[in-house]
Amino acid sequence: MYFYLPVALTSINILIPIGLGLAVGLLSGLFGVGGGFLMTPLLIMFGIPSTVAAATDSNQIVAASTSGTYAHWKVGNVDFKMGLYLLIGGFAGGLFGVQLIKILKATGNADFVIKMTYVLMLGIVGTYMFIESLSSMRKKKTEEIKPEKESGMARFLKSLPLQTHFEKSGVTHSALLPIIFGGFVGILAAIMGVGGGFLMVPVMVYILRMPMHVVVGTSLFQILFNCIEVTFLQAYTNHNVDFILAVLLLLGSTVGAQIGAVFGRKLKGEQLKIILAAIVLVVTVKMIFELTLSPSILLSQAGGH
Amino acid sequence: MKKVRSQKSEVRSFKNIFLTAFIIFLGMIMTGTKASAELTIKANHDDIKIDFFYNGSTVSVAGDADSGTDLIIKIASPEGHEILKQKGKVAGLLWMNTGTLNFEHTPNLYSIYSTKKIEDILSAEEADKYVIGYPALSRQMEIAPVSTEDERSKWFNEFVKYKESSNLYTTSSGKILTTAKDGKQAYYILTAWPYQAPPGDYLVTVYAVKDKKVIEKAESKVMVEQVGAVKMLAGMAKNNGALYGGISIMAALAAGFGVGMIFRKGGGAH
Repeated sequence: MYFYLPVALTSINILIPIGLGLAVGLLSGLFGVGGGFLMTPLLIMFGIPSTVAAATDSNQIVAASTSGTYAHWKVGNVDFKMGLYLLIGGFAGGLFGVQLIKILKATGNADFVIKMTYVLMLGIVGTYMFIESLSSMRKKKTEEIKPEKESGMARFLKSLPLQTHFEKSGVTHSALLPIIFGGFVGILAAIMGVGGGFLMVPVMVYILRMPMHVVVGTSLFQILFNCIEVTFLQAYTNHNVDFILAVLLLLGSTVGAQIGAVFGRKLKGEQLKIILAAIVLVVTVKMIFELTLSPSILLSQAGGH
Repeated sequence: MKKVRSQKSEVRSFKNIFLTAFIIFLGMIMTGTKASAELTIKANHDDIKIDFFYNGSTVSVAGDADSGTDLIIKIASPEGHEILKQKGKVAGLLWMNTGTLNFEHTPNLYSIYSTKKIEDILSAEEADKYVIGYPALSRQMEIAPVSTEDERSKWFNEFVKYKESSNLYTTSSGKILTTAKDGKQAYYILTAWPYQAPPGDYLVTVYAVKDKKVIEKAESKVMVEQVGAVKMLAGMAKNNGALYGGISIMAALAAGFGVGMIFRKGGGAH
């Protein structure tokens, strides 16, 4: 059955967005990512204009992350305090990133910087997570986990002011830490035009040292607020949100997020990390192919970035 | 005297009419049935309504034409302009958007159907005059910024490729069915109307062609409009972004919570 999308001005078989929603929602519930880095290109592939694809995806992520946050909150896996600090940083970083894009666009280098940032960030994050989780999985098999020696980095982090305890995550950090790193992810996310979940998750795991299951719930919580803001701005200033497409997507993604959250509880932290790392790496390889292989059509719709 | 003159003039004018009619009759016998205003056109589905379940439509174009003429049917939207991103190689290796191109005098939808290949039945001058076929469209289109003719033709070809990929541009020959009917020919073609064609008015023109020239044309219209909820949503997205955004967010939040609740009830065992 086909549905007509009033803002995208195109018609789509409803099984496509529902199926895509289900698959990406599943990843969302499992890993705490919004999945924009997967969903937006897939929607474009199915004929949705790129600007509408990105804006509508943020609308459906609101639903998927609400569903996911709710599922994780029920089992006590959302650190609201940490999420709030990350949000403050992310919001400030986002504002800064949007200004940066304006400057880049004025110099005419925007596309190059965006694509390169995307590929590098995906590549670095994917590779690091993959190697790290692989080695920690091997370690666990062969030896008992030894208490890690405190590194210089950890000592430096502890010397920062405004130290506070995050009960849910069981960690103590300076309040500045999540704000600064949240800001950093906010800048990158604004440059790349994505929610930044796949960057926020490694920041929480490796820098903030939060347990993986709390990371997923907390990441979803802050993605929810980011996407509410983005959806509103896209609808208000660019008129690019397609309500019907969003509804079709969220029919799948809200259910997918619940299933993901259930599955996630059955998997170990390392297993979750390595699967996410593999997905990120596959997307990186796909992007590298896109950048190097001759495209079949050399023109595309203007607008967005 | 006056009466006589008027009688004489009446006789003369009667003679003239008779003569003219005779000449026309002769002419018709000599050139077949080449008479003007013989060409008719009717688009059967001329008011396409876009509702929720719209997935494109079909439009049939039919009419009568003089036998011995070839036919060309053009379906096009009014000319406009389009700005598109162009991809190019950066540093000799990476494909990226390198700028934008401005295409002027371009119809958004452009379909040409003909009984035979355009170049075999129509001269280039006539094709240009009526903008029939891609070469003619290329000559009337302005593309900027391009520096050489080669570059221009490369980007025109890319433009056509881009449009054909969304079914908005098409040309084909030999698909118009013609049947002899009372010394004339009846023509008929069923065309697929792409869902990608946005709401608007589209002009359907049939050209009767003989000796590489257009000898007659007839026009009809296809109107495409959004109706009902589709129209309401599209209008709200455009004119009341804040409300539309608010509703979209509320709906997403409600759906997220709703599904969460259902799963809690249904999946309490987890």
